[in-house]
Amino acid sequence: MSALPRTPAAAADVSPLFDLGQGLIDRSIFSDETLYRQELRRVFAPSWLFLAHESQFNKPGDFFTTYMGEDPVIVTMGRDRRIRAFLNACRHRGMRVCRADAGATKAFTCSYHGWSYDTSGKLINVPNRDGYPDGFDQDKWGLTEVAQLDTYKGLIFATWNPEAPPLRQALGDMTWYMDAMLDRDPDGTEVVGGVHKWVLEGNWKLAAEQFASDWYHVNISHASALMVMSPSGKGPKAEIVQTPGRQYTDPNGHGAGFPTHPKSRFDDRVVHHYYDYEKLRERLGDTRVEGPMTTGHATVFPNFSYLPVNGSIRVWHPKGPDRMEVWAWTLVDKSMPDEVKNAQRLYNLRTFGPTGIFEQDDGENWSECQATAHGFMAGSMALNYQMGLGSETEDGTHPGTTGHLYSDGAARGFYARWRDLMNTPAWHEKDHEKDTP
Amino acid sequence: MSIRTEEPTAAVSTGSALDPGAPAQEAAPSSAAPAAALDNMLLHFEVQRLYHLEAQLLDQHRYADWLELLADDLHYWAPVRTNRLRRQQSLADGAPGEVAIFDETKASLAWRIRRFDSGMAWAEDPPSRTRHLITNVMVRPDDEPGQYVAESAFLCYRNRLEREVDIYAGCRTDVLRRGTDGGLLIARRTILLDQNVLLAKNISTFL
Repeated sequence: MSALPRTPAAAADVSPLFDLGQGLIDRSIFSDETLYRQELRRVFAPSWLFLAHESQFNKPGDFFTTYMGEDPVIVTMGRDRRIRAFLNACRHRGMRVCRADAGATKAFTCSYHGWSYDTSGKLINVPNRDGYPDGFDQDKWGLTEVAQLDTYKGLIFATWNPEAPPLRQALGDMTWYMDAMLDRDPDGTEVVGGVHKWVLEGNWKLAAEQFASDWYHVNISHASALMVMSPSGKGPKAEIVQTPGRQYTDPNGHGAGFPTHPKSRFDDRVVHHYYDYEKLRERLGDTRVEGPMTTGHATVFPNFSYLPVNGSIRVWHPKGPDRMEVWAWTLVDKSMPDEVKNAQRLYNLRTFGPTGIFEQDDGENWSECQATAHGFMAGSMALNYQMGLGSETEDGTHPGTTGHLYSDGAARGFYARWRDLMNTPAWHEKDHEKDTP
Repeated sequence: MSIRTEEPTAAVSTGSALDPGAPAQEAAPSSAAPAAALDNMLLHFEVQRLYHLEAQLLDQHRYADWLELLADDLHYWAPVRTNRLRRQQSLADGAPGEVAIFDETKASLAWRIRRFDSGMAWAEDPPSRTRHLITNVMVRPDDEPGQYVAESAFLCYRNRLEREVDIYAGCRTDVLRRGTDGGLLIARRTILLDQNVLLAKNISTFL
């Protein structure tokens, strides 16, 4: 790691903030500034984080800028067609070397003093090079590259942690659930051009937790949207409100919930008619078509979430304890005809995204939860995560552990993972040989 | 209920007929063409009346009435705005078929509006206070006879609950067309919101 030796910051023991066996969580995890700084060091820095979709990179020089935690990063395809990710920070004074959202380039040149880096991160130009001492080794001052980068069925993830287990292992059984969205088409998926980005005055965990674990809110929070979308216009039938389903809880903090229904369906008619459900059953199996492929929700720990029916994939970028930025893409199957892709795009932007008839109400909930979290009494109360306690089991049908659909089970799993990471020194806190020149 | 702008009847003061909305060839003050200049001013006035009425309907949450200002074949579109290198500025505004803030037909807008009427649209309960300000209006004839292209700048202020404030600012390019009763209808609207990351938790009004 290209850093000077530094004494690790003091870390708080977060164990007292949780009694997950009783389903109790201290509300300060959403608002405490010190915990937030620790979270950047011990949850975001060591974890695999979602960066972008492979279809955003088609030729050498294509780049996309995003964040890992609060760290700005460039994702780019090098001349060898390999996708790499770098800290978007000049090694000289730390300014971002790329201030565009996306595009194509041969080099990233800092507009402060002109240090220039190629698409493999190598420092290729230093103006007034003669001013540096003889020992200045340009090769040691390339952009800081992520420790590991890997893809899973089109999704690009990376981590700063050289000791992180491989991506496939970190995802574990979650891949079985993710495949219900990523593996319907033998040709894979791609994203529609453009990214929805918006800010929310709420802690990122409010959203990540909900997508892992919260089918419960749908009938109330989204009552207006369900009413508009129901065929009668008067609201969904009782069997939809009382739908059976399962919720998956992963030991690495991931979670997914989904109604189970023998007639899986896509809400958009064009997309629904496009799919050959018999073929999907052959490809993915009945259990997946009747479960995780339906109108479910999921979070890959810590901050990547998706909605399999809407094709919405998104990252909750942390921006301080009280604020997040949502970046959302629209995912479609590569083999879909253009009119089906377009139908999926329109359906997604009308339901989810900053003007979506579902998402508008989610934004209101999260900002409202945050707005009062700093009150002394309101902020020190334990929150109730007891729904579905004891319902988790290995049901023999779905991989791993599942519980009731209406449950906080995946949230308890999410926070157990968060607690354990918060209480574990990360690789950068251990003694490492520093390679700083 | 029919909402139509009234035909302008008020006398417009004479003088230099410098109308920023007039096409270049008509913009120069010319004593030889006062009638054309006056027509231009009347059209400009009519479009402004339409926009002021529209702003009022939106600020009063009278969305069903607002829908009546829109042509049946409406396309209402707000692409996302991206930061691009200067040499790639042509890609800065989202293209048709990409992710968009709005990409609507009249039917899909009606769908969104029905949600507000459900009594359970919590993001607007209690309702926000909004003020749509429409300015910098410029109108020119469209290539299609009987249609006009109108550009305007907007600033929509939203104040919500105790102290939430959002400001949506940008420009709109409309195609306006005369309806069967002679009033102007909005047939196309392209909204360029002057933000990259949308600096609001949602947009629960229309622009």
